[in-house]
Amino acid sequence: MNRKLVVVGGGAGGPSAAAEAKRRNSSLDVTMLERGDFVSYAA
Amino acid sequence: MPYYIGDVIKDPNSLIARTPEKFEETGIRVELGTCVEGIETDKGEVLLAGGRRLPYDMLVVGTGAKATLPDIPGTTQDGVFTLKNLRDGINIKEYIRGNMCRRAVIVGAGFIAMEMSEALRNLGLETSVVYRGELPVKKWDPVFSGMVLEEIANNGVSFIAHNSPVAVEKGSDARLSLVTDKEIIETDIIIFALGVRPDASLALGAGLATGESGAIRVDSSQRTSREEIFAVGDCCESYHRVSKKWVNIPLGDIANKQGRVAGRNIAGYPMIFPGIVGAQSFKVFGLEVAMTGLDEKEAQESGYSPAGRIIWGNPVARSMSGGQKLGLKLIADKGSGKLLGAQAVGQSGAVSRINILSACLWSGMRLDEIGYMDFAYSPPFGGAWDVIHTAAQILEKEL
Repeated sequence: MNRKLVVVGGGAGGPSAAAEAKRRNSSLDVTMLERGDFVSYAA
Repeated sequence: MPYYIGDVIKDPNSLIARTPEKFEETGIRVELGTCVEGIETDKGEVLLAGGRRLPYDMLVVGTGAKATLPDIPGTTQDGVFTLKNLRDGINIKEYIRGNMCRRAVIVGAGFIAMEMSEALRNLGLETSVVYRGELPVKKWDPVFSGMVLEEIANNGVSFIAHNSPVAVEKGSDARLSLVTDKEIIETDIIIFALGVRPDASLALGAGLATGESGAIRVDSSQRTSREEIFAVGDCCESYHRVSKKWVNIPLGDIANKQGRVAGRNIAGYPMIFPGIVGAQSFKVFGLEVAMTGLDEKEAQESGYSPAGRIIWGNPVARSMSGGQKLGLKLIADKGSGKLLGAQAVGQSGAVSRINILSACLWSGMRLDEIGYMDFAYSPPFGGAWDVIHTAAQILEKEL
């Protein structure tokens, strides 16, 4: 079983963490959860 | 976002660094419109609205910050906004267009309020800033705050000082009216820009430790008080390299760096987030406003004995400056001579000086070193003695 990473929040820090973790370790099973309707935006 | 509302940026998609589709292409599942209601740390599961459970081995909490709304009646009406995320920005712009708003009120006078005042003037709205204090951007020295006030006033923004909102009501000749303790201000739209607070509620519910700032406590690897849970961005603390305290400074550049550091640690490549020095800037009409490090009060609270001084210089060589002034305030420790903080305001050159001084703070430089530092000198970009050199030398003599 691949290790599961769950990211709560898709503003700026969450997407950076998800992307970097997956880039460095492609075997990770990554899910990002966002309550709104956009991720990874500049405020 | 204020630049999108002010129509400087036309397409909201250009504010998005990476779309959900791009994430999916790299193998990251993205679930939008998904509310997390709890974290069950003993089972290693997040609990989603509707009862679904999602197991995790490692978790990142990036719940951000919440915009502050005052506890007064009427704030749930149409036309009352805060500005926190991209959805808010789109809603504000659509509301202004859809309702042909002519008058706007901004409550609060921090840097978001200042940027918003410019955005709303760009759209041609009659704009008022309502603030309970005397001067805007109170983190800056009153002399600099006064310059910001003059700049917004010169650009048609009316600054209504010493007014605290008590209610939002229906207007008589406009859509809404903001009732304060002194006046009734008729307006078509009200934007509360009273700052943000870290959203640590999910973390608190999971029993994670928070710091004095109210934000989630992390170590330099972005780990929370539980080894398998990381926190990043506006919801967590950062190590301030000058005050040597853990603080909460909600800015997107910090969030990006912390996110990447957490990602590396999660992937098994240990990395440390080196902390922050509190550098920040904003533009309001024709002024650059920037600061870094500590002000005198914060320096005192951090155990330093600070001295501060404002110096007026020119952003470029005086012969080419056309009379443009640049105000630079340095704050240093009387005991060690170390720089503790800096603030700058001017039509140009303020941010570039603050960036240099942030590097000085980062490496813990003293005024005597800064006074003779080597810069990229050329008359169009500064004097042979830059305002930084002059300010450092003058303040050093006064310590």
